[in-house]
Amino acid sequence: MSWLHAARQRLDDLFAGDVRDSDLDEEIAYHLELETQRQIAGGCDPVTARARALARFGNPRHVTDAARDARGTQPLEGCMQDFRWALRSLSKSPGFTALALFALILGIGATTVAFTVLDTVLLRPLPYRDAGRLVFITERTASHSTLPPSNPNFESWRDGAKSFDGVASAMFPFSQTVWPSASASDAVRVPTMGVSRAFFAILGVSPLVGREFSGAENAPGGERAAMVSYEFWQHHLGGRRPLGVVRINDSPTPVIGVLPPGFQFIVPADVYLAHEREPSTMRSAHNYMVIGRLKAGVTLAAARSDMTALSKSLLAEYGTDTQAVDADVVSLRDHVVDDYRIMVTIVFAAAGLVLLIACTNLVSAQLARGWAREREVVVRAALGASRGRIVRQLVLESAVLVAAGTLVGAVLAALAVRLVKIFGAAFVPRLNELSIDGRVLGFVAAIAAATTLLVGVYPALRLANRDAGLALRSRGSGMTVRASVWRLLVGFEVALAVMLLIGSSLLIRTLHNILNADTGFDAQHIVTAAITPNDSTGDKLEQIRRELAALPGVEGAAYTNQLPLTWGNSAGPVRRTTDPLDRDWPAMAGFRVVSPDYFAVLRQPVLRGRTFATTDRVGAPNVAIITPGIASKLWPGEDPIGKTIATNYLFNDWLTVVGVATEASSWTMPRGAQNEIYVPLAQHLSRTEGQLVVMIRTSGDPHALVPVVRSRLRELLPTSPAQLGTMDDRIARSAADRRFAMLALTAFSLIALLLAAVGVYGVIWYIVATRTHEIGIRMALGATGAMVRREVLGAALVMAGTGIAAGVLGGIVTTRYLQATLYGVSRLDPRTYIIGAGIALLTALLAADVPARWSSRVDPMTAIRGDG
Amino acid sequence: MGKEPGELLPGTFEMLVLKALSLGAMHGWGIAERIERLSCGVCAVQQGAVYPVLQRLLRRGWLVAEWRATENHRRARYYRITAAGRRQLDAQVEWWRRSIGGVDRVLGAAAQEA
Repeated sequence: MSWLHAARQRLDDLFAGDVRDSDLDEEIAYHLELETQRQIAGGCDPVTARARALARFGNPRHVTDAARDARGTQPLEGCMQDFRWALRSLSKSPGFTALALFALILGIGATTVAFTVLDTVLLRPLPYRDAGRLVFITERTASHSTLPPSNPNFESWRDGAKSFDGVASAMFPFSQTVWPSASASDAVRVPTMGVSRAFFAILGVSPLVGREFSGAENAPGGERAAMVSYEFWQHHLGGRRPLGVVRINDSPTPVIGVLPPGFQFIVPADVYLAHEREPSTMRSAHNYMVIGRLKAGVTLAAARSDMTALSKSLLAEYGTDTQAVDADVVSLRDHVVDDYRIMVTIVFAAAGLVLLIACTNLVSAQLARGWAREREVVVRAALGASRGRIVRQLVLESAVLVAAGTLVGAVLAALAVRLVKIFGAAFVPRLNELSIDGRVLGFVAAIAAATTLLVGVYPALRLANRDAGLALRSRGSGMTVRASVWRLLVGFEVALAVMLLIGSSLLIRTLHNILNADTGFDAQHIVTAAITPNDSTGDKLEQIRRELAALPGVEGAAYTNQLPLTWGNSAGPVRRTTDPLDRDWPAMAGFRVVSPDYFAVLRQPVLRGRTFATTDRVGAPNVAIITPGIASKLWPGEDPIGKTIATNYLFNDWLTVVGVATEASSWTMPRGAQNEIYVPLAQHLSRTEGQLVVMIRTSGDPHALVPVVRSRLRELLPTSPAQLGTMDDRIARSAADRRFAMLALTAFSLIALLLAAVGVYGVIWYIVATRTHEIGIRMALGATGAMVRREVLGAALVMAGTGIAAGVLGGIVTTRYLQATLYGVSRLDPRTYIIGAGIALLTALLAADVPARWSSRVDPMTAIRGDG
Repeated sequence: MGKEPGELLPGTFEMLVLKALSLGAMHGWGIAERIERLSCGVCAVQQGAVYPVLQRLLRRGWLVAEWRATENHRRARYYRITAAGRRQLDAQVEWWRRSIGGVDRVLGAAAQEA
């Protein structure tokens, strides 16, 4: 019957472990009571009797653990026991547990968020069907690589390329006024994008509702039709069915389809139109985005050589009409992600460093705790726990910690991912797709496992390997060796934190430099209002401008067809009178239509000649103001005033240069100045492409004036809504990728600093605690508290200093990868390194000062008497 | 392992616990005290070491345990040896005697016997 009994015992143990533990506790209590009584009977006073009873019994906790070890051998039971042991052991040192969890949550949370971003932006295919086969095609001219092609070149590619199942194009989006229904009185201004035949089919997106443009609709003379984004359909059309009719710039247009939620092609748009109804015929223009879907089995390289051959034959066929000498084919994903690849990678690497610091912290804390627990482990081993069992228990303890930290870290990361998605989607491509998927979960599981191995196995093995006899008999031995291992770990942490500090402060300086870079004009205090002039006359526009300029708090107002810092699709070559109609002239320039006050309102200096005047109107000679780059290219060493040029693909419309204005950052910050040709609005009213922007200089905060301008414009232009903003915000947005990396790196370096501070605090506290005895003796011999404190701080200084030196070296090596993103600051900028090192040093000393102060207040007598 | 409590040969302490209990059911302290007294203090161990051994013997079915009131009306856990336990004890004693006899003969060997 004994096997039956044994089985029952084990079942009882398994299901009632805690009850049995309390049985054991009661047994031990009773045992100690009996032994105490015996000692009293033998003539001891009660206190001594109790102490002797305890001494004869041994450490009750170790006995409990050993008894529990002895009880079970079934794997399941053993694991549950070890699990309970781990929980109990962790709850016995709440300080350590809280600190470890804190570090793990930060490290794992940060890494998870960074990986989610990396996964979404860089690893996942674009959200189109079979997106791996999508490519982005651009053309090369003799002087420029990767320019967008013209519509005729796109059509030739579509007809002639053999590598693709389909080639499609889209225009750069621009804002138009849309009335949600034929009878609606309130209109909205939304970005619209023209697309070619079968664009969505080739891209691999099916409309959620309705259909995409038919071949007949998307051809010259086709019926008007529009597709809308899901968001536009919901917000402005009330999700209505049938989809009905909208008015676009006063033309009733039936809505034929709705795109899926969240759909966008490179940049968001709300209304999609069929651009092949009115095909552009200028072969030398550069204004279409072209995609292709590779045929199955065709490689990128094959497509490239196909396109090169095609470009050569087009060049032979069209000669001077086309500018393209070659074409370039890249995967669409690479094109979309572009500059952000490096940012996202940097942020992920930084998060990895944070996790590494968290792990280091944990390892050092585990080791420290392990040394404190050495006796316990040795006794357990003596009482019959095998070495494997002890290692298993210690590793399980780390695993329990890591599992808890991972769980909380992942939940926090999920929340942070939502925030990043909300706030980052406008700035970083593809963040609108941000989500946690199976790969992210797999990654989290993998880092949790790696973290467990890193923080659990080494300390456990180390602990379990300790020579039993040595540890039992001499408590202080090997202390210096241990402290030096620990110091090394903390120094490593400090080094990593310093590297992150250097990286983030380089990015902070970069962002600051970009935002304060010389734009060539005064961007502060400018309100911008995009309006649709429709058929407003020049006089009507001038009246609106005057009304706005007369508003209180407004210093002046001017028109442009295109704001500074907006990507334009009107850059084109510039022809001199002496140039034949050759295909590749030396200068390219943007083309901006502005009103006379433009340069005054923007405070963009006119360097030579004159600015525009009201006399530059239709009938008067056509004039232009150019930037110095054009002058030096076209007429080196000559005075450009009075010369004549033609541009914007009207190569026989001659303009007389009347002035030279400073180059301004016209497209992006900080890429800065491009060549621009400015022409007066009065002479080019028809060239504004249905859009004008009023720029209003305010004397105070421009944001305060936005509502005032909006309501005044509503009165002046009741049928067409304005889109308002400020130039400040536009500049801020232009540095969004760096801001993203800067914010992430700053957050990570602060976390790293905090963790390193905790590490320093821990090791210094340990040093002080193990030397209390020594400190007591020295103070008894006359050392003052201040001296002791100074000495402890000195130890911290040495440790932190070593780490900082290593961190600075690490920074010198690793900032190479930041090089491409920096602006206006050298990656080896000494000030940045000094600041980073200084912050780390200060933090380390502050962290060390707490135990140092404590050490200076040691009471010599107590310290010497205690066994320290 | 097993060397620490009382510096006994491995398995010996188990045998002593079984033997102590073969004289009558007893609680943990009583077992430790009984072994100590019967060995005249030679086999004095850390008393706590009794409990892991008791757990091991319980698991093998050589003991049973139950909570009982003591003479002074307290609750104590008493251990009783089972039939299997007695058989085990007999086997162990047998083994012990043989080992001791062997060791003894070696130790008592005179020079000419070698």
